[in-house]
Order: sequence, then C-alpha cells, then structure tokens
Amino acid sequence: MSTSERKPAGSMAWGIAALACLGVAVGLHARLTALMSLHMLVQIPLLVLAGLCAEQAWHARRLAAGSARPSAAWSYNEYGIPGLLLVSLVGAGWMIPKALDDALTDWRVAAFKYLGLPFCGWLLRASLRRSNVVIKLFFLGNFCWMSAIVGMIYLDQPIRLCNAYLQDDQDWSGRGLIALAIVLPSCWLLVELKPIWRFLNR
Amino acid sequence: MRWVFALVLAFAAGLGALYGLTGGFTVLTAEEARRQDVARAPRAIPAAEVLAKDGRILDLGQDLRRDGRVAIVNFFYTRCLSLCLAQGSVTERLQQAIEARGLQDRIRLVSISFDVRDRAADLDRYAVRMGADPGIWQFMTFVQPAQRDAALALFGITVVPAPLGEFEHNAAFHIVTPDGRLARIVDLDEPGLALTAAEALGGAGRGAAPAGREMSGS
Repeated sequence: MSTSERKPAGSMAWGIAALACLGVAVGLHARLTALMSLHMLVQIPLLVLAGLCAEQAWHARRLAAGSARPSAAWSYNEYGIPGLLLVSLVGAGWMIPKALDDALTDWRVAAFKYLGLPFCGWLLRASLRRSNVVIKLFFLGNFCWMSAIVGMIYLDQPIRLCNAYLQDDQDWSGRGLIALAIVLPSCWLLVELKPIWRFLNR
Repeated sequence: MRWVFALVLAFAAGLGALYGLTGGFTVLTAEEARRQDVARAPRAIPAAEVLAKDGRILDLGQDLRRDGRVAIVNFFYTRCLSLCLAQGSVTERLQQAIEARGLQDRIRLVSISFDVRDRAADLDRYAVRMGADPGIWQFMTFVQPAQRDAALALFGITVVPAPLGEFEHNAAFHIVTPDGRLARIVDLDEPGLALTAAEALGGAGRGAAPAGREMSGS
C-alpha cells in the first residue's frame, strides 16, 4: 500500500525534472548556444536528460498502475541493443563541429536537436532498462573513448572548427569532452556498483 | 527476430543522419561544407551598397560584374590585430605576384570590410599601410547592415564578436568570376592555388567579359 502511494510521487518528481531540463535548454537557448562549450556540454545533455527523465516518469506511472510488463513495441528493442546503437550514432554526430554550426543556421538540424534529442533520451533510458551490464559496458565504453579522442582533437586543433565559435571556447569544449569521458563511467560505476559486483563474483 | 530488423533500421537511420550531416562523409566542419558547396554550385552575388575608399558608393554585385576581371575577394576589418593582418600580408604578396606575372588585366583583388565603424578614410589608411596598388587591389566597406548580413551569408562568412572589440571570422580567398558569381573558395595558406584557380576561371569567362567592359566604357 505504502509503495503504491509512493510511486506516483516518484513519477511526478521525474516529470518535473524532465520539464525543468527542457525548460532550461529551450528557455535559455540564446545564452546556451552563445558558447560552444555550453552548447555541446550543457544544452545538448539537458535535452537528452529531459527525454530520459520523461521516460522515467512514464515508467514509474506504469509501475504504479500495476502494468510492469513491457509493452509489445519494446520486443523490437531486445536487450536495448537497437536503441543503444541509434543513440550512440546520434551521440557521435553531435561531436562533429558542423552539427553545432548547422544547429544555429539550418532549421532542420535545429529541429532535430530540440525534438530528436529528447526522443533519444527517452530511447536511451528505455534501452538501458532492457539491457544487461555487458551491453551497457560496451556502449558506454564506446561513447567514452570517442568523447575523449574528440576532446583531444578539439584541444589539439590550431584552427577554429566551428565558424560560429571562438578558439578558446573550442579548447574548453575539448577539455569538457575529456572530463565527460571520465565523469560518465564514474557515475555509472556508482549507480551500478551492486550489479557489477554480482557479475564479477558470478 | 524482430529486434534484428530494428537493429538494421537503427543502424541505417543513424548512418543516414551522419551521411546527411557530413555531406556524404566528405566534410566535418561548416567551413569545408561551404567550400564544397560553392565549388559545386557557384552563387550569384546579391546587390549590396558598398563604400569605396575614395568615398564613392558602388553596388557590390554590379561592380564585380562590370569590371570584367576575375576578383579574388576577402573580408576583413581595419582594426583587426590578428587574422586580418596575416591575411593582409598574404594578399599583399598576391598583389606582387599578379604584377610580376602581368595578370593585372585579368585578375584583381577586393578586400571588403564587415565592420560598420570602417569608413572611407579608414580604408584609405589601411590601403596605404598595405602598399595597395589601386589598379589591382580595391577596398570596400558595407553601407547597410541588412545588405551586409545578406552578402556575408551568401559568401558563408560568420563574424563572431570577440573580447576587446575584436571580431573572429572565417577567412579565405573567394574567387568571383566576371559574371559576378562566387565560384571557388581557396584557403589563405594557398595564395598560389588561389591565383591559379582565378586564372583558370577567368580564362573560361574571358570571351564575354571584355566586351561588356568596352560597352560600359563607350
């Protein structure tokens, strides 16, 4: 009884978090796209987080309603592999400097940013829920080395890669991407300590 | 097995998006994309009022068409302390090369300021500093901000305000054919290539251009 009362509250909290992420990312878009580092490392992650939190809210609601069984549509997303692959490719795309420039000048890329990224966040959370620790490790590992290498390339470039952004800012984006490659797996380790421990001691 | 279908679909969608973004896996930056686009499809220069260093007001598109020569165009602002100085000295050497090879009847240099603070006197001072020969190297500055923005957009120049009143901007040699079309963009590091490309593009359009020049003179 007490759990079923708590679930809708959890759903509400996740919903509010999702709206807050989306609100900040869209509401402050002028401020957030003024700098390459903020655009790449704050606005884009916020849009993904918005989708992620929204899925979490939706899931909590479904749990509370008692329909914990995954819906048929997700059997297309076995172990979350198709979903994680798509999210990885999208993640790789947003590390290309042209994507950041085009998001400011091309409405199609901008539309993909504001609509596609929350969708990717949703897909990411739903896929993670269906995957296991080995698959998560594979995709996370892939994303992190990519992020670190791209970060180093950004730091290394003597020329500007984005026409809309300054060189200094490019260096900060590079440092940010390298930091992301360290912070992300650390957070994951903290969250998944128990399943990893279980997996290692099997 | 439905998930295999989904996997293939996800892979195709992701790769398709990357293909679209990178112009078929050929470019990674907006600058590369701009150069490739221009080489594939030359762009007609729009009408824009510009102020010359002698105080005359010209129309940029018309001036580029009327002259009859290929123009190697670049963008700058006179207060620049970084990139434009390098660009200016490379352009100065390009001027020397044009003189040395006797190409002044076929190729000219045009430097256009995007800074609203630059007036005729600023251009004149800059031209003297650069040792510009008025017959080969002309200076202009935009008069109306809206026309400037449209022209810069067509050329694909993005100007970003930087600290200390400076601007950061993408710089290159823009080759405009005598029919007033932006036909090629060449890197600042390759003035020789800019000259060769200008010669080649001028050779293609030479039949019609001098006739137009005579007509405007008569």
